[in-house]
Amino acid sequence: MWVYEKKLQYPVKIKKPNPKLAKYIITQYGGPDGELAASLRYLSQRFSMVTPQARATLNDIGISFSKLLTIK
Amino acid sequence: MNRHEILKKLMELDFVAVELQLYLNTHPDCREALEKFNFVVAQAQMLRQEYERKYGPLTSFRSPSVYPWQWINNPWPWDYSFNFRTTES
Repeated sequence: MWVYEKKLQYPVKIKKPNPKLAKYIITQYGGPDGELAASLRYLSQRFSMVTPQARATLNDIGISFSKLLTIK
Repeated sequence: MNRHEILKKLMELDFVAVELQLYLNTHPDCREALEKFNFVVAQAQMLRQEYERKYGPLTSFRSPSVYPWQWINNPWPWDYSFNFRTTES
């Protein structure tokens, strides 16, 4: 389903490491309103879309949400 | 071009390709976007090959490798040295 590429979609270079902020951001991944749940929701919803445009777009949205996880 | 320069250019091209691809999903009849998309994809393909030839595989099963197996080598995208700044500061 996915092909991992050994590069980022957008450059990340942290100037000032902020462990407190990092700890908060990581809490947004899990849970019912987290990034992971949203990603899986979109990927489920794509199956019931009526038009090819909507099907392809939800597929892409689901994938892009899972990419947010790998940017970290 | 050095590693960071090629990587930056490749990331730029792929970024544009993704944007055009998303647009084409909802505008499949737009010739202008399709032409731009095909151009960018061809450019990215050439640069991807150059990067892989010089700095190792970008994917684990769609890139050839010299001996020994290169995929496991550092750096990884989460390593500080892998990345670059967008602007000088």
